[in-house]
Amino acid sequence: MSTILAPGSREGAAAMQTAAIKGRSLWDDARRRLFRNKAAVTGMIVLATLVLLAIVGPYLAPFRFDQINKNDVWAEPLQAGHLLGADALGRDLLARLLIGLRVSLAVGVVATFVSLVIGVLWGSVAGYAGGRVDELMMRIVDILYSLPFIFFVILLMVTFGKNFILMFVAIGAVEWLTMARIVRGQTLSLKQREFIEAAQAAGLRRGAILLRHIVPNLLGPVVVYVTLTIPGVILAESFLSFLGLGVQEPMTSLGALISHGAQEMELAPWLLIFPSMVMVVTLMAFNFIGDGLRDAIDPKDR
Amino acid sequence: MSRRLILAVATLGALLLTASCDSHGGRAPCPAGKLCLEYGNTTDPRSIDPALSSLVDEDHILGDLFTGLTQYDPASKPIPGIATSWDVSPDGLVWTFHLRKSKWSDGVDLTADDFVYSLRRLVDPKTAAEYANLLYVIKNAEAVNNGKLPITALGAEAPDPYTVRITLAHPAPYFLYIVTHEAMYPVPKHVVEKWGDKWIEPEHWVSNGAYKMTQFALGDRLHAVRNPYFYDAKSVCIDEINYYPTTDIVSAERRVKRGELDFNDSIESNRVAFLRRPDQMPAYVKVNTWLGTVYMPFNGKSQPAFRDVRVRQALTMAIDRDFISQKLERGVQPAANVLVPPGTAGYPGGAEPHWASWSLERRQAEARRLLAAAGYGPNHPLKVELTLSNLASTILVFTAVQADWKEVGVTATLAPEEGQIMYADFNARNFQVGSAGWIADYNDATTFLNLLRSNTGQQNYSDYSNPAFDALMDKADHEPDPIARGVDLAKAEHLALEDATIAPILHYVSKNLVNPQLTGWKPNLADWHRTRWVCFKGRRAPG
Repeated sequence: MSTILAPGSREGAAAMQTAAIKGRSLWDDARRRLFRNKAAVTGMIVLATLVLLAIVGPYLAPFRFDQINKNDVWAEPLQAGHLLGADALGRDLLARLLIGLRVSLAVGVVATFVSLVIGVLWGSVAGYAGGRVDELMMRIVDILYSLPFIFFVILLMVTFGKNFILMFVAIGAVEWLTMARIVRGQTLSLKQREFIEAAQAAGLRRGAILLRHIVPNLLGPVVVYVTLTIPGVILAESFLSFLGLGVQEPMTSLGALISHGAQEMELAPWLLIFPSMVMVVTLMAFNFIGDGLRDAIDPKDR
Repeated sequence: MSRRLILAVATLGALLLTASCDSHGGRAPCPAGKLCLEYGNTTDPRSIDPALSSLVDEDHILGDLFTGLTQYDPASKPIPGIATSWDVSPDGLVWTFHLRKSKWSDGVDLTADDFVYSLRRLVDPKTAAEYANLLYVIKNAEAVNNGKLPITALGAEAPDPYTVRITLAHPAPYFLYIVTHEAMYPVPKHVVEKWGDKWIEPEHWVSNGAYKMTQFALGDRLHAVRNPYFYDAKSVCIDEINYYPTTDIVSAERRVKRGELDFNDSIESNRVAFLRRPDQMPAYVKVNTWLGTVYMPFNGKSQPAFRDVRVRQALTMAIDRDFISQKLERGVQPAANVLVPPGTAGYPGGAEPHWASWSLERRQAEARRLLAAAGYGPNHPLKVELTLSNLASTILVFTAVQADWKEVGVTATLAPEEGQIMYADFNARNFQVGSAGWIADYNDATTFLNLLRSNTGQQNYSDYSNPAFDALMDKADHEPDPIARGVDLAKAEHLALEDATIAPILHYVSKNLVNPQLTGWKPNLADWHRTRWVCFKGRRAPG
């Protein structure tokens, strides 16, 4: 953690010299540990493939995701050029799966980003300011925590209409609570450290200390938590879509596809099997990466 | 921590899911020694006030809670109810009903006054009843409903406590069906006047049917129990009924299969053939002709483009109804180019618009031409919002419509809503184009065509107003010759369809899933199945 060492100090110079000789920082160590973790590496490869598929796949698929093929209603896999079969409207499942994956991943990433920004700012300010401000801010978090998460999102969707963008915001706005707590806890322990005292002694303003010294040092736990939030968000979105509150036709997401698949389970099992498989694989990849990162960044925890 | 969160989300999801799929994780508990009917009823009622309801699912409940002057027998024929007999004057205008002595569920006597009060309440402009237009056949009803005459001017009176006399504005051979309709159920005057709008709450509830409501939890169920004061209580077999809103029709089907529900009032069309397989539940599937039509009203008030007849025509003709009927509905529900279903009594048909027989390619080419003429094209595309119910099969059908419209350059976004909320939006004209369904109130073309009269009010969702149409309808009302009357009605329908004020999509069939253990449940044309006739095999009513 390079910022722990205030540049210019004697120890700092010595340490930097050592680092230059050895060529290994703590981050290098973490990376090495991560890449030694087979599950995490597999997760990363699978995830990279899925992301690539979600981005370029829809352009390569032989059908558009909303293209209705009136003669291919409930085509079985490999029939009539539909690799994974077609749904009740004759729409190619592969094309829909790729778009659904893209939507689910996008929701996951954007909503997590929203939760990251709010959570990190809220938690670090609360933790660093301490006292009454901390009390007030964390009580707000506690109150929001006590609201049932899914109901809160459903309420938002029902009140403000079923807007695709709103869904990102709604999920993100709920997911930031845990992030804020984690960040606050970390900040509390960081703020007792010597380099913060040094910065304070040097007369740095509070905002600058927060942004330059506290937030960068939160990176480890935050990164871990982010990789574990994304699948949680994907699951939440899928659940909303399953209830019919998520994306609207002809757009789709993994959850919406699974919901349709469950309806046609006995008649067209491929409509349930393939989306479920993709969903499971995506979630597992994220979880393996998250676990690997945690083990790598915090070796004590093993 | 984080994984626990994911787990929590997943568990919560699973919990909610099970909660929404099976509310009670099995058959609801039934008091010892009682017979309970678990009734799958597609949507929750908006209101259980007979004056404020109009959905089929609402009538399923109201028909068990109330008995009118007449009532439907198991074959959906009107038979004596609270009235034991009736006389009609030779000119067909004055109907006199003779009432039996009966009581409300709180033990208070039910008299002719209650009926007159209920009728006046329904046409009272303050009530704003959706079905007020159904009673326009009664003398002065329209004027009263428009506030031009006092409510006492309505052609309904009680010469003595057990006689109701109704005078009509014009002869109506179908009037007995209107008498049997939910709009004519009596409401308890003494309760409504005491509690006002709150009379429909379970603690104040009073009704005169075989059952009385005791509990209503939105989204969960409506609970009704036997009414001991019902005039024919001894003949009623089922003691308690739970009506569940079963928006997810496929999961309702699984609940029927597991025995959690005894009955569900709907089946997804594309699953009918599957359910009829010998290894599934062939004995449960009851599919029958039903007089009804799925149609799309165009609301020019909120979408100015719909004020142009060319746009409405283009959107109507661009729809590939054969695909919807044959492929999506698997041939279960026939395609519709007209509002009045074929087979409606005394109706000659032939009202199709001029493009009905064209090929899809020709219709779509013409639609593009009409849209271009109206000023819409690639540079100025038409964007509309389509309000529909959130039933899976409805979304499927209108996704196909959406794709057909895209073919002619019109972008439609789908806005699915709970059925009862959607109809409230239609009544408030808070929609652009919607997916409405109309089921005949009685077997006559006017039950459909009256929807499009300029004086209909709320139920004329597209606010169609064409003096020529109204004139033909008025002429038909006063036409004594049934054949000439039919011709006038068909002419009127043709006019409305050429104006494309609505786009018909499909004709309904009734699709019920009925446990074969239920007796007294008969398929019928109107699809009315009152619980008072139903029993379980091997059980019988106390009397």
